[in-house]
Amino acid sequence: MSSTDIIAAIATAPGLGGIGVIRVSGRLITPIILSLCARALKPRVATLCHFQDHADTLIDQGIAIYFPAPHSYTGEEVLECQCHGGPVVLQQLLRRILMLGARSAEPGEFSLRAFLNNKMDLIQAEGVADLIAASSEEAARCANRSIQGEFSKVVHQIAQELVTLRALTEAMLDFPEEDIEPQTLENQKKQLFFIDSHLKQLIVGSGQGRLLREGAVIVLAGKPNAGKSSLLNRLAEEDIAIVTEIPGTTRDLIRQNINCEGVSLQFVDTAGLRDATDIVEAIGIERTWSALQTADLCVFIVDATLGLTPEDDAISAQFPNSLPVITVFNKMDCLLTQPQLQSHPSQVWISAKTGEGLPELKKTILSALGWQGVADGVFMARARHLEAMQVAQQHLMKASETQLQQEIFAEELRQAHENLMTITGQITPDDLLGEIFSRFCIGK
Amino acid sequence: MIQIIDSYDVIVVGGGHAGSEAALAAARMGCQTLLLTHSVETLGQMSCNPSIGGIGKGHLVKEVDALGGAMASVTDEAGIQFRILNASKGPAVRATRAQADRVLYRKHMRQRLENHPNLKVFQQAVDDLILEGDRVVGVLTQIGIRFNARTVILTAGTFLAGRVHVGLQNYQAGRAGDPPALTLAHRLRELQLPVGRLKTGTPPRIDGRSIDFSVMLEQAGDSPIPVFSFLGKKEQHPAQMPCWITHTHQGTHDIIRAGLDRSPLFTGVIEGVGPRYCPSIEDKITRFADKDSHQIFLEPEGLTVNEYYPNGISTSLPYDVQYALVRSIKGLENAHITRPGYAIEYDYFDPQGLKNSLETKALQGLFFAGQINGTTGYEEAAAQGLLAGINAALQVKEKEAWCPLRSEAYLGVLVDDLITRGVSEPYRMFTSRAEYRLSLREDNADLRLTERGYQLGVVGAERWQAFDIKRQSIEKEQQRLKSSWVNPRIVSQYEATQVLGQSIEREYPLEELLRRPMVSYEALMTLPTAGPGVSDPAVAEQVEIQAKYQGYISRQKMEIERSVQQETLRLPQNLDYSLLSGLSKEAQQKLAKHLPQTLGQAARISGITPATISVLMVYAKRGFSGQLKTA
Repeated sequence: MSSTDIIAAIATAPGLGGIGVIRVSGRLITPIILSLCARALKPRVATLCHFQDHADTLIDQGIAIYFPAPHSYTGEEVLECQCHGGPVVLQQLLRRILMLGARSAEPGEFSLRAFLNNKMDLIQAEGVADLIAASSEEAARCANRSIQGEFSKVVHQIAQELVTLRALTEAMLDFPEEDIEPQTLENQKKQLFFIDSHLKQLIVGSGQGRLLREGAVIVLAGKPNAGKSSLLNRLAEEDIAIVTEIPGTTRDLIRQNINCEGVSLQFVDTAGLRDATDIVEAIGIERTWSALQTADLCVFIVDATLGLTPEDDAISAQFPNSLPVITVFNKMDCLLTQPQLQSHPSQVWISAKTGEGLPELKKTILSALGWQGVADGVFMARARHLEAMQVAQQHLMKASETQLQQEIFAEELRQAHENLMTITGQITPDDLLGEIFSRFCIGK
Repeated sequence: MIQIIDSYDVIVVGGGHAGSEAALAAARMGCQTLLLTHSVETLGQMSCNPSIGGIGKGHLVKEVDALGGAMASVTDEAGIQFRILNASKGPAVRATRAQADRVLYRKHMRQRLENHPNLKVFQQAVDDLILEGDRVVGVLTQIGIRFNARTVILTAGTFLAGRVHVGLQNYQAGRAGDPPALTLAHRLRELQLPVGRLKTGTPPRIDGRSIDFSVMLEQAGDSPIPVFSFLGKKEQHPAQMPCWITHTHQGTHDIIRAGLDRSPLFTGVIEGVGPRYCPSIEDKITRFADKDSHQIFLEPEGLTVNEYYPNGISTSLPYDVQYALVRSIKGLENAHITRPGYAIEYDYFDPQGLKNSLETKALQGLFFAGQINGTTGYEEAAAQGLLAGINAALQVKEKEAWCPLRSEAYLGVLVDDLITRGVSEPYRMFTSRAEYRLSLREDNADLRLTERGYQLGVVGAERWQAFDIKRQSIEKEQQRLKSSWVNPRIVSQYEATQVLGQSIEREYPLEELLRRPMVSYEALMTLPTAGPGVSDPAVAEQVEIQAKYQGYISRQKMEIERSVQQETLRLPQNLDYSLLSGLSKEAQQKLAKHLPQTLGQAARISGITPATISVLMVYAKRGFSGQLKTA
C-alpha cells in the first residue's frame, strides 16, 4: 500500500539540539528531492547538500539520505534531511518541503505507514494503535491549548463569513427558480474581499504567534573588530566569544539563544567581513555570508569612531535584498563628543563595553521582526494551522479570479472552507443547506 | 393462507417511481420479477407536482437513464414542457426539468412494465413478510396469497401507516384517494426496525377554466426543445404547454394567519418532520414574516385534463382557509378548487440501518427504496429503486453488491448520505451535497455509468452500442484536437480575434485554445485547418466541457484518488468495536451503532476523527484477529 500523499514532519524532539531531522515519506518524492537538494541522491548514501528555498538561496547545509521503496522506515520512498537543529532552520526547511507538495504528517502517521507496509512485526505493531491514540490525544490537547480563546474565535468568525458567502453562492446554483434576490457579483466580490482581508490579518497575527513559539535568527555582521563578539557577550551576559584586539579573531559561527520579552532570539556571531588571506578565516567569512542568507534579521555593526566607511558600504551592498538590516554604531563610549542621536528607525547607537543603548537595540530588533508585544491579534497558531490558512487564502485568491463562472467560484470557496475546517472542525453539507434555508424562503 | 402459487427471484412491493425502476432493473438483469401493487391503475403515479428533474434531481434522472432506467425516456414521451435550468451557468450545474402529463406518464410507464420480459404485475396489497430466521423468503398478500421470493424490495412510499391531514381533521390513507398499508406497517414495527415519522404535503388543485392567465407571467419551454434520455428524440414529445407565474400578497398572508389556530402543523397535531426546502405556505409566512409576497407557479397537469398544480402553496389548512387564500391570489379570484390540499404523515425507516446496496442490515434479502428510506422526490425514489433492483438481482446471481462511489454519481452521494448520516427531514438531492460537483454532470452521466451498467447486465445492447460509438468519437476528436496545431501564419489576425478574442503569436494545439473560457468549439472549428469538427452535438459538447473543466477535474481526480483507499477498505459486519483498544468510548459506540461497511463510510459518520480512522486501519491490517464476534 503506497500513498500518493507525501507527508513530512520534524522527526527530532522540539527545542535546540545539535542536529535536527526532517523525514519525508510517500510515492514519487523525487521532484521534492531535486528542488530541495538541487541534485539527485544515490540510494542510502549520506550526501552533503545545500538545502535551498524557492529562490535557490541556501536554507542550511546538511546531510540528506534517500531511501527508495520498499527499503525504508515506512516502506515508501523516504527522504531524511539532517540539518542544524535550531527550531528556526527546521521550520524553514519543513515549510519549504510543504510548499513542494508534501503535507504535514498526522500524529503517528509514519509509524502507521510503516506498519501498513509490513515494516513492523506484530509485536511491534501492538503498540501502534495505542501510539496513534496517545499522540493524537496529545496533539488534540496541544491544538486545544493553541486554538483556545481569541484565535479560535477569529477563525470561527472567518469560517462563518465564508459559510454565509457559500450559502449565497450555492443558493443561486441550486435554486435558480426561487425568487431569491439575486446576489450581484459586486456583493459577492465585496464579501470575498472582507473574508480575504480578515484571513490575511489572521495570518499576520499568527505569524507573530509563530515568532513567539519558534523565535528568530539574528546575524551579527560587520567589519573585523567592529565589536560583534563583544556585543554577543554583552547580550548573553557572559563570555561566550573570544574578544581580542586582533582583527579576525572570530572564525566560526557562534550561536547563542537570548530571551527578549519572551521571544527566543538566536544571535549568531560571525567572522568579520573583509578580503581574507588566511584560509581558515576565508572559510569563516563564507559561513557568515551563508548565515545571512537564512537569517530573519541582520544586525550590521559599525565602528562609531570611524563612522560609515567605504568598506562598510561595500559590505552592506552585498546583503540579501529581502533581509531586514539594523545598523548599530558601536563604541559610542569612545566618542569624544556625544553623537547626535537621530531617531532613525533602523539605526541604534550603543556601547557593547558599557551596555549603553542595549535596551533600545533589543526594542528595535523586536519591532523589526514584527513583534508588537503580546496583545490582541497575536495568536498561538501552530505551523499546521498557518499552513491551512495560507492554502485557504490561495483558494480565495483564485475564487476572486474566476468569479464569472459561478460553479468554479463555488468550488474555490469550498476548497478554502475545507482548509479552514481542518482548524475549526467539519460542517456537513446539511449545515450549509441549513444556512441557505434559514436565509431564503425556498419552496417551489 | 392460500397455498404457494408462484416463486420469484425478486418481488417488488409498490409500483411508484422506486418500485417501477426496481422491477424493470431486476427484470433487465434476467431475474424472474413480480411487481405487487395495490392498484394497477396507479402504476407510475405522480402524487405530488407534475414535473420531473431540476437541479440535482435532473442529474439523478440522467444517471438512472445511463443505467438503462425508464424515467428519462418515459418523461420524453410524457413531457409537455422542457427546460434547461441554469443554462447561463456552467455545465456542472445545468439541469433538465420537464413538466409531465400525469396521464401520459402513467400510461407509458405501465406499458413498459406490462411488456417487459421476465416481469409480471399483480394487483394485491402486501400485508406481511415471510421470514426464515433473519432472511426474507416471501410475502403474504391482503387476501392471503403467499409468494415465495429470494429477495424482496419494499417501496411503500407514503403508504406505511399514512395519515392525511386537512385542517384539524385527519384520516388514514396512503395518499388522497388511496388506502394506507396498515397491516404491513404494523408488521414492520414488530420486526423492531428503527422507525420514524415524516411529513409532506401538496397544494389544492385548480380548474384551469377558472384561472385568469391574462394577468400572469407566461413561462414557456426552451427552444430548441431539450430531451431527457441519452437515447431520446424531441419527436417523442407530445404537444407542449406553458407554465404561469403569479404571487401571493399581504392579503393572502392575513387570511393564512387568521387560520393558523386550525392548522395541524401549528397546533401540534402533526408530529412528523417536514422538509425545510418545500415548506407549506403557512410555514413560509411564519418563518419569513417580513417577506410580503411569495411566487407561485401554475403547472399544467396534462394535455387532456383541466387541472393546474399551484406550486408554492402546499398547505394543510382547513378547506375554508384554502378556498379563501387561493381566491385572494391575482388571477385566481374565481378559481375552482378540484381537490383540497393536504399534508400526509407516514412511517420511514432509519436508512442508517441499510447497507449501500440498500439491503437492510437486519434482514437478509430485504431491500428498501424510496420514501421508506426518508427521501422525497420521484427522482430520488427512482434512483434508489434502480439500485435496489440491481442489487437484488446481483444477490440472486450470487454476485457482489454494487453501489457507485460519491465520486462517481449523485446516486452514490444519495446512498452514502442516507446510510452514514441518516435523515432529519425528507432528503432531497442538491448539487451542493456533492463534493465532486464539477465531475458529476448531467452531460457525462453516461460516460460515468453506462459501461459499468453494461457489465452489470442492467444496460441493454442498443444503449451500449449507441454509447460506445459516442465515446469513441469523443476520444477520437480529443486526440485530433491535441495533435492539430493552429499556425499564426495561416490564421489571419481578423479570424483569430473573431474566434479567440485576440491574435495568436505562436502555434497552439486546438485543445489548448479550446480550454480558454471564451472560446467555443463551434467557433474554433471555423478557423482555417481546424475543422471540420464532429457533427454529433453531444460529442462536441463533451469535448468542449472536458477541455474547459480540465484543470479542476484533474485536481478533483487527485482528491478522489486519495479517498479510494478508504472507500475500498472493507470493515467486517461482525466486528466487536468494544475490543478495539485505541478507540474512545464514543467512537466505539458510534461505530457499533452504524456498523459501517467501509472505512470511507466510517470516516463520514459524524464525530469520527481521523485518529479513529488510523486506528481502524491498523486493526484492519491485522485482519481484526480476535476482535470479531462469533455468531
